Amino acid sequence: MTPEQITLVQSSFERLGADLPAMTALFYQELFRRDPSLRPLFTTDMAEQRVKFAQKLTEIVRTMPRLGELLSYTRALGARHVGYGVRAADYQTVGDSLIAALAGVLGEEFNAPTREAWVLAFNIVAETMLEGAAAARPIGS
Amino acid sequence: MTLPRWPIVGRRPELEVFEWALGSGDRAGLVIYGRAGVGKTRLADECAGQAAASGHPAERVAGSRTTALLPLGAVAGLLPDGPVRLGPDGQVNAVALFEQTRQALHERHRGRRLVTVADDMAQLDAASLALLGYLAAQRAIFLIATVRTGEPVPDLLIDLWRDGRLERIDLHDLSRAHVDTLLHLALGGPIEAGAGQELWEASRGNPLYLHELVLGALESGALVDRSGVWHLEDHLPASSRLLDLVEQRIGGLSAEARSAVELLALCQPVELGYLETVAPAGVLESLERAGLVTITVDDGQVRLAHPLHARVVRAGMPKLRARAVLLAQAERLAAGGSTLGRVELRIAVWRLDAGAQPDPAALVGGAQLARAAHDFRTVRRLMEAVPGEQLDAVGALLLGEALYELGAFDDSERVLAQGQALPASERIALQLAVTRAKNAQWGLCQPEKALAINAAARAVVTSAPLAEELVADEASVLTFSGRPDRALTVLGRITGADQRTRVVRAIAGAVALAAAGRTADAVALARAGHADHVALGDEPAIAHPAMHVVNQVFALTEAGRIAEAEQVARSGAEIVAAQRVPIAQIWFAVNLGRVAILQGRVATARRFYAEAVGLAQSSRFAGSRRVALSGLALAHAMLGEADAAAQALAERATVPWFGFLGPEQRLADAWAASAARRPAEAAAVFRSAAADAAATGYRLTESWLLHDLMRTSGEDVSARLRELAEECDSPLVSARARHAAAARARDAVELAGAAGDFEALGAMLLAAEAAGSAAAASSGAGDRRAATASLRRSSALAAACEGAATPGLFHLATVNTAAAAPLSGREREVVLLASTGMASKDIAERLYLSVRTVNNHLQHAYAKLGVTSRAGLAQALGSAI
Repeated sequence: MTPEQITLVQSSFERLGADLPAMTALFYQELFRRDPSLRPLFTTDMAEQRVKFAQKLTEIVRTMPRLGELLSYTRALGARHVGYGVRAADYQTVGDSLIAALAGVLGEEFNAPTREAWVLAFNIVAETMLEGAAAARPIGS
Repeated sequence: MTLPRWPIVGRRPELEVFEWALGSGDRAGLVIYGRAGVGKTRLADECAGQAAASGHPAERVAGSRTTALLPLGAVAGLLPDGPVRLGPDGQVNAVALFEQTRQALHERHRGRRLVTVADDMAQLDAASLALLGYLAAQRAIFLIATVRTGEPVPDLLIDLWRDGRLERIDLHDLSRAHVDTLLHLALGGPIEAGAGQELWEASRGNPLYLHELVLGALESGALVDRSGVWHLEDHLPASSRLLDLVEQRIGGLSAEARSAVELLALCQPVELGYLETVAPAGVLESLERAGLVTITVDDGQVRLAHPLHARVVRAGMPKLRARAVLLAQAERLAAGGSTLGRVELRIAVWRLDAGAQPDPAALVGGAQLARAAHDFRTVRRLMEAVPGEQLDAVGALLLGEALYELGAFDDSERVLAQGQALPASERIALQLAVTRAKNAQWGLCQPEKALAINAAARAVVTSAPLAEELVADEASVLTFSGRPDRALTVLGRITGADQRTRVVRAIAGAVALAAAGRTADAVALARAGHADHVALGDEPAIAHPAMHVVNQVFALTEAGRIAEAEQVARSGAEIVAAQRVPIAQIWFAVNLGRVAILQGRVATARRFYAEAVGLAQSSRFAGSRRVALSGLALAHAMLGEADAAAQALAERATVPWFGFLGPEQRLADAWAASAARRPAEAAAVFRSAAADAAATGYRLTESWLLHDLMRTSGEDVSARLRELAEECDSPLVSARARHAAAARARDAVELAGAAGDFEALGAMLLAAEAAGSAAAASSGAGDRRAATASLRRSSALAAACEGAATPGLFHLATVNTAAAAPLSGREREVVLLASTGMASKDIAERLYLSVRTVNNHLQHAYAKLGVTSRAGLAQALGSAI
């Protein structure tokens, strides 16, 4: 990512402001619309789940400029997701849903450079969460 | 430097296939197909590594020229230790040996399957293949085989696959997004846009090429970390290992195919129609099938599929042969009589590449075309090939400008000075003088020399519009060397309205007007200048059109239209990053830093200024780097990072003085002193810089410096700020004046009003500080309810300030820590001053109290805050912010 792209991710996230819960709600709608089979993975209260997701996203966006800090966070987060049986393909669905939700709430402000910056940011997060997950999961017979 | 382990990116779905196959029990192995360098071996090793981390035994076998001579040579590591049992006829019984091996492996690994990587399967000898096939089929090993696209697939793999016991993965080059992620993780941080683009274009997603390119660029010093951002400061070098890799890929071509590839490497793109007449039938098809060339259907042009291939083929060609091909192609195009400009440039470059005696006219013609495309490297190359005695004034201008753009300022000065001695039209004489002055001003950081060059040119350039342009250019030197007052006087002498003159006048005038406090005129002039420049087109010896947009951002910021300034700067920065205009990139970043400081987003400011520092260092503009380093130190200081601020200032001390925004640069020195708790020094710097600003026409900067003097020391600056507010049309100055007047009068209502003004402008840190003062004033007047409301407001505003640690926010800490036993109004005042490092004697003077009373207040406050010393006080306040 370029420094400008990191700034774009942070500034567009800041612009969400009070709409963060709305974005989170839209994200889950998009996610379950794209892949209804993911629905049963979320056994906890969805309201609580949305708050958790917003907190984690906020932390990730905050640490985006400091790679070391970001990686220790995302790797641990990935490791914690191992138990849910999340796979690489699911991350793709999550990424697409997040981009769609951001676009839905930010409207015209979510222009092409902002989208590209988010795609790259999500890619870094997904790759390193998957890395954390792989390290935490015993494999083979 | 060395890289940490090269991360694996974009291969998680493939790793999941492996994981599943290993766990499924009925799969005997996995085969990874793909082109050279796509990462087959890396993926296979990662699979084995993950298996090993989960307790699987893992082994690696690889074929080579040596082991291929020896049956079972490649798999020697799998064979049992003891003597090989011989059959009854004294010969090796293969089946018995295989079974013996299986049993030994079974015992050694206690029944767990050995994960075996067989790299480059096609290189293994037949016996090794047979053993691996047997062991895989018997479930003694889990086989991971790699096979290069186009190479024969061993029978054993085909058999296993037919039985449905083998998983197959087709590996492809990485996408742009994955290359980006890979670079981010491998380099450990962000990369400048142009550098990322160049690495992508050179590697086209081939991970091995990317790896070698990055390593080579790090080793040669082309890729460097500037303040946390990676920059590419030179061409990507081709390391010898990279050359070897590519040579392997294109080796083994037929003579005809090789000659077509060579032609493309030297002269691509080549028209398909022509290529078909020189290459035998079938050659192009076979090259396309092998993925070595691409044919664009639209325009019928043929190119080599990978840019690296062209470089390697060129490097490996005998000089004489390359020369013959280049000259023949130049003849062909020249004979075609094409009038297309691009063609002329290509002919010139090919002749030069061929080492042919250059025709100066063709070189200059080619250089003009390269100049139009802002390809200054090619301009330099072509013009440096012109023999010195044949370089005329026009040629000197071309070369001198290119040298300036490429950061070779001393060479530029020499070439342009020589050019001025040659006969030239008045127009060329003007452009030589202007370019030489620009180099002296921006490159060499010698404004006096720039003014002398400008003055000397008056003797040669005398006709009306050109002479006026020279006047406008003098104003430009004055504006950007820190004399906006004199620039405006000089601009007043211009009466004509020639288009070029208008453009230069706008460059010089917009910034000078904004500095002087005529911000509405400044914004209008910057906009008009940009429109004029677009109509004029891209001409030599004049600033880049984007500089008008930079000036517009500066003027909007000074006009207090902060949000608008940010928006214009962001879109402008994107455009110049794509076009790679370093000087405009630097100044957009500096202006975004200024905007962020005013918004109170101090961490964001730190990021933009750091980016500007890196860009300025890469492009060697020392003066711009000085301004950027000042901004970086300022942002650090406002975040309370005193050491980092001092470090940025130490780096700045190695850069020559640059007068543009001179008084503003000194904000950094003052704030750094304040952050290091040297308040007397800070106040002295603010005062002297404000005096300099007043003497040179920087009214907006003067108001900024005075206001910050008040913010950090409490000194009364209201009288001068009121004058400035009357002289300037900016609401930013009015708000500063209102704040100062209200602070002097301890007027809670007015302080809250000033906070509202700042908030409306988007200046959240200033708003938070003014609201804090309002709270203190209300509390002093005994109005607790108003005090609480203002405090709450201050705290909410401060939340947007990204960790700013300015003295004006310390009240928030006193409120938080003192919630149990609130400080009295007087105690808070004394504590705030003491926390800046001010001595009791000075506090007493400031508040018209005796030193003893001050000390009494301090003792009471210490007790309430639970500290025992001034140091403890600063810590209690600092840590709570």
